Amino acid sequence: MKRIATLLAMVLGLALAQEVHLMWSGAITGPTSDAGKYYAQGVEDYCRYANAEGLTGGLKIVCETRDDQYNNANTQRNFEEALERGDPAFLGYSTGGTLQLKPLIQEVGMTFIPASYHIGNIDPPNNDYVFLPIASYSEQVIALLEYIAKEKPGAKVALAVHPSPFGRAPVPDAKKAAAQLGIKIVEVQEMTKGLDYTATLKRFANEGVEYIVYQNVAGPVATMVKDAKRLGLNIKHAGAHYAGGPDLLRLAGDAAEGFIWVTSYYMPDEDVPAAAFVRKLGKMYQRPADTLESVHYPSGMLAAAIAIEAIKRAHKAGKPVTGDAGRAAVYQQMLGLDFDPGLAVGPVTYSKTDHVGVDKLRVLKAQGGKFVPVSEPFQSKLFRKVHYGK
Amino acid sequence: MTYFLQLVISGLVVGSIYALAALGFVLIYKSSRVINFAHGQFIAVGAFVVYALVAYLGVNVWLALLLSLVSTALLGFLVEKLFLKPLVGQPIISVIMVTIGLASLIDGLVHLTPLGGGNFSLPKFLPEGGIAFLGVSVSYPQVLAVFLTAVFLLAFGWFFQRSTLGAAMRAVADDQMAAMSLGVSVEHVFALAWAAAGITAAAAGFIVGTISGINLEGLVAIGLRVFPVVILGGLDSIPGAVIGGIIIGVLENLATGYLDPLVPGGGTSEVFPFLVLLLVLWFKPHGLFGTEEIERV
Amino acid sequence: MRNVWAETGNYKTDYRQDSSIFATRLEQLSLIGFLLALFLLPLFLSRTQMFVADLIVIYALAVLGLNIITGYAGLINIGQAAFMGVGAYTAALLAPGLPFWLTIPIGGLVAALAGAVVGIPSLRIKHLYLAIATLAFQVIFEWIVGHSPLLKQGGAIPMPRVVFLGYRVGYKNHYYFWYFVALVVLILLAFAFRNLLRTRFGRALVAVRDNDRAADAMGMHPGLTKIFAFALGAFYAGVAGGLYAYFSRAVVIEDYMLPVSIKFLAMAIVGGLGSLPGSFFGPAFLVLLDLNMEDFANWMKRLGLSYAGVDIASAMRPLTFGLVIVLFLVFEPRGLANWWRLVRNYFKNWPFRY
Repeated sequence: MKRIATLLAMVLGLALAQEVHLMWSGAITGPTSDAGKYYAQGVEDYCRYANAEGLTGGLKIVCETRDDQYNNANTQRNFEEALERGDPAFLGYSTGGTLQLKPLIQEVGMTFIPASYHIGNIDPPNNDYVFLPIASYSEQVIALLEYIAKEKPGAKVALAVHPSPFGRAPVPDAKKAAAQLGIKIVEVQEMTKGLDYTATLKRFANEGVEYIVYQNVAGPVATMVKDAKRLGLNIKHAGAHYAGGPDLLRLAGDAAEGFIWVTSYYMPDEDVPAAAFVRKLGKMYQRPADTLESVHYPSGMLAAAIAIEAIKRAHKAGKPVTGDAGRAAVYQQMLGLDFDPGLAVGPVTYSKTDHVGVDKLRVLKAQGGKFVPVSEPFQSKLFRKVHYGK
Repeated sequence: MTYFLQLVISGLVVGSIYALAALGFVLIYKSSRVINFAHGQFIAVGAFVVYALVAYLGVNVWLALLLSLVSTALLGFLVEKLFLKPLVGQPIISVIMVTIGLASLIDGLVHLTPLGGGNFSLPKFLPEGGIAFLGVSVSYPQVLAVFLTAVFLLAFGWFFQRSTLGAAMRAVADDQMAAMSLGVSVEHVFALAWAAAGITAAAAGFIVGTISGINLEGLVAIGLRVFPVVILGGLDSIPGAVIGGIIIGVLENLATGYLDPLVPGGGTSEVFPFLVLLLVLWFKPHGLFGTEEIERV
Repeated sequence: MRNVWAETGNYKTDYRQDSSIFATRLEQLSLIGFLLALFLLPLFLSRTQMFVADLIVIYALAVLGLNIITGYAGLINIGQAAFMGVGAYTAALLAPGLPFWLTIPIGGLVAALAGAVVGIPSLRIKHLYLAIATLAFQVIFEWIVGHSPLLKQGGAIPMPRVVFLGYRVGYKNHYYFWYFVALVVLILLAFAFRNLLRTRFGRALVAVRDNDRAADAMGMHPGLTKIFAFALGAFYAGVAGGLYAYFSRAVVIEDYMLPVSIKFLAMAIVGGLGSLPGSFFGPAFLVLLDLNMEDFANWMKRLGLSYAGVDIASAMRPLTFGLVIVLFLVFEPRGLANWWRLVRNYFKNWPFRY
């Protein structure tokens, strides 16, 4: 009888709880789906968990993951739908989609959290409502250059980037930073998914390149790393968030040994609460092993966690959380957000001038088939100097 | 000089993978005048079958390859029977579109399995490193690629020249009407060509998967890269596919090696083959070795 | 005295009647009714639904252009999205200085120029070889955009809000405004398309498609005809691109890449190649199918009909897209336009069977 009563209370409670919708639109199929697939699962699982564990402040947050196939028109339509439904925030994905939507985002004042850490997302114009979950690609690449400058002063570096706005994003800042660090950027090479990078690598070798820094996705990086090893070149490899990770290890095997990587997330096998939490959630919602390994799974969780936290706070402050007023209230909470969801190497902090959530990065190195941290979490001062001139 | 040599040799190797992928294209076009936009998906299916057998069932890699060859042959056969047979006599564009639809359909089916997104790689079955000579180095998967291409070419060469079925296929390619009147089953030949194309696609998928990992997007992209190859060589010429593949492979490498430093950002290997292609087509409208169509009013 | 409103068959007695735009008065009337309905549509739709309506109208414009090149002239074009991109980028570069009613047509003209250039290989090469030449154009276009700092290397070039008759179009009526603009343009260009076939040039197009040697012998110039077909089709795409740029408020390379070209071909086929009504049905059908698949997949997800590691929604969309193309080609190669024709004929002859 008692159980029925509690069950009834729960059902009633759920039925009475105000529903808030939260949409994620990203590529589950099409280009970059190897990241988007896991990102979507992270969003879904964290949302389920937050509702189940009462992290939503009594709200029922209905998360919806939409596959936009890396197609901006789909992203735009999803965004419109969310806007019309009165969603207070939106989880985005691609660089192209975010850049395209920026004017609209600004106009309607919708908090927007993309999975693309392109600095252009939070640079003016129209940048008030876009929030990056972790440090930008530019900061990641500069952090790598700083690490390289310490390891080998005056090193010759080549940048190998994805042939898209996503890949080209950090190039200008990286060039400026290299000049300050005394590193020489020999060449910026756009690389497509090919079968053989011998020509590129040989050319780099002829030019005396000692490090290649990748702003790319794991697939082509793996092939290039393998080719470099086979050619017996004495070149070291380093990559930003989407270039490395467990995916790279799986694809490149031994050749990835020594790969320098920078990210704000913990590795799945690390002995820290954050990694244990991710593992727990993955098991709870029966995700396969490749999901648990992927760094994009906690990335999705973090994005969802940030949005849910801001919505919860707005609700607790007695503000509406849907419609025009809801967007404004959640945005106000975003500006003062300072909390640690325990998913990355630092707390999430935002302010009017700081639209980067987790400001800290860690440098990791592939050793014995896994990525091992070789630095404490840190912030790149040089990045601020180079990009903002302060 | 070593630099140049390395570029050319790497180009030859990559070119032979293109040739292997292009072979299936040409086989289909030669017999049934269909250009198959789903060829990239065939390649992907071949690679996924190998991976699934090895990863989930623990089958030996070589046995998995063999089973994959059989299954893509079956796929090609079924596709022809189900989708292309009803379209005999329809305009070119319909036939192209049916293969485009098929490509999307296969994409969807792959996404119904857990292999849809994500990057996978086969367990290591070849030794590390590669062969080095004259300062030039070629990896073992690439050696395997060249070897497989050579095997398939010899096999098809023998098949077309010596076997009765091969002669029948040549006859159909030459003149359908005449072949039919001499008792050759055209239907049979079409289905067979598709099955053979499936086999070469699986082999290409296996090689590409070994070299650059197994990912739907990446494997499908190879299908697209093959277009300049087959057009350059001539759509209905098997030697054309091989020579076209090698030319494109070498050109891509030379572009990366010598043109990229001159262009900010580089990436010339992506468009250079297409530029050469346009140039060649201007002088040879049916590719280097394609049969000239004789048109009559 | 025959009643022009109640004709139930073919009463044409001379060629002039046969080449008239409307077969019957009734048809004329129903068209006016239909157009009126299109103009009243926004009254009943929400903003998100308007977005979809805009998309369909703009895509219809591009498909109309494709139908000139591929449907009438029989030249397979795998680069229609790139022509659209040429129009879009032209509009984006001019937009800070010029009003939209100038940038969009100029975009169309620049695209037409690009079309004429791409058409040049058709003087020498044919069929599938030509198809790949248009593919080459698509690849080269993407590469050039990716390497031009002027075009932000494919990143977003924002489009300004437009001011029309002293009235600034904000986000609340953005999609409504562009719906009307796109619709008016579509109707004008659709009439042009319809009239095209009645002209000397239109008949030359069909003649060249059916047999260009014969057309040559009859005194037409197949080369020029083909180039002109490319230019005209590209003009439609360029105008669609300019509209798309304003409609999506930014120009980003992803909207004009190869998959979009292929989508246009699919739309043309599903609608019915070379058919005017088909150019509307195709885009409408495929866009709405895509949306419904999404809802369907979400519904399946809610029912728990999904399993770990697989996203049904993702699988269903390419799967149904492909399936629809294949089924249409196998069972209804003349596309949706043929169903439309059957329905129309039924009503035209009603109450008689034939």
